Amino acid sequence: MNTDLSDLSLMQISDSFFPTGLYTMSNGLETLFSEKRITGMDELWELIQTNIVQQIGPSDCVALSNAYDSTSLNNVEKIIMCDRSLFAMKLVKELREATCRSGTQMIKCISSFVTNDALLSYHDAIKNSQTPGTHAVVSGVISNVLKIEKQKAILHFLYGFSVSMVGAALRLGIIEHLQSQKILHLLKPVIAETCDKYISKSLNDMWQFAPEYDVIQITHEQKFSKMFIT
Amino acid sequence: MNKRIPRIGIGGPVGCGKSMLIERIVPILAKMNYSISIISNDVISQEDADRMRQNLATNQGLLPENLVIGLATGGCPHTAIREDPSINLSVIEQIEKEHSDLDLIIIESGGDNITTTFSPALADYFIYIIDVSGGDKYPRKRGLGIETSDLLVINKIDLASLVDANLDIMERDAKIVRKNKPYVLVNCKTDEGVDVVARHIIEDVLFEQPPKKLITNVK
Repeated sequence: MNTDLSDLSLMQISDSFFPTGLYTMSNGLETLFSEKRITGMDELWELIQTNIVQQIGPSDCVALSNAYDSTSLNNVEKIIMCDRSLFAMKLVKELREATCRSGTQMIKCISSFVTNDALLSYHDAIKNSQTPGTHAVVSGVISNVLKIEKQKAILHFLYGFSVSMVGAALRLGIIEHLQSQKILHLLKPVIAETCDKYISKSLNDMWQFAPEYDVIQITHEQKFSKMFIT
Repeated sequence: MNKRIPRIGIGGPVGCGKSMLIERIVPILAKMNYSISIISNDVISQEDADRMRQNLATNQGLLPENLVIGLATGGCPHTAIREDPSINLSVIEQIEKEHSDLDLIIIESGGDNITTTFSPALADYFIYIIDVSGGDKYPRKRGLGIETSDLLVINKIDLASLVDANLDIMERDAKIVRKNKPYVLVNCKTDEGVDVVARHIIEDVLFEQPPKKLITNVK
């Protein structure tokens, strides 16, 4: 029997059946759609690409990568530093809350069937409100614990974000199902390049800059009628 | 570790009266000194949560405004309460952490179809509500909600004659389909039958435990 179960673990956490609540998030897309600023596939692809290149790559992926390495060293203090830094970098309240909801539920799920010292200590720190439990940092920790390669963990995170956005667009009626798969295909080089670019960056190299996008997401908080949490 | 507060899930189709049922039950329970929080999942807006907050919290003062919480479900109401209830669970964990003195959490699902069920991880007791305007065939069409819920509520019975729905048929089929599990005929507009629903909650969910605030006061 093949004893390397890491690929199966990757499939497990990448499956839409895995409970992280990402389907409740449009990451600002709902606002852009209602204001008719995103009306089709090309604009959607550009939006997701911008988000990956300007926000998720340089902030979430760097935090994930450092949390992954810190888990190998059982350095929970550093994991918490990654977590707090990423949380502070997210300027939109809805996004901060949503990423922590996904992160805390993800670690709770994994902790129900895997044991590991760093995982346990980090989970305890989240439960005791010592650290926020962001989705990216939790992903870094649990990927390490499940022996998923770091590169694959980052690819999984970026792909998961893309699917979440494309899924929201599909439900909003911006695109149809074949276009959604085409966008995911077109995003592959962007995802791969972003992964390569940020996989070895230190925590001090974290950044994010998409101010217009942040403002759009903040206006989502004020909307009365909405389908999505973000 | 926070102690789990008993949770009721209320599901049913769009417009069947889920929010209205909550607005009628909460005053009965609050009058008996039970402390309650409401999480209202909604497919498109926060209108139900806003209305319940205004009515039950702001106007009647039956619970704090911040304990009526609206959740958008990304267009997937059934997923939010069953396959991936993580967002609801996250909110509940926060409530349990900050308000351990609560007696009950009511989780309202977004309007959905007859296959709705709640994850056991999310709700301890499941009330499925339909209304007569869908016709008297509704109970015998079955579906997980009608068949497996702990309590089936048939609402808007005052409309039965207007839509040619025979309540006797609905009762007969509910008994057969549910294998004698309980059902209640209600009219939320007049409160008819609502006290029976509240009684089921007190007996089957709270196990007739006195409200926590009364226990604390005795001490």
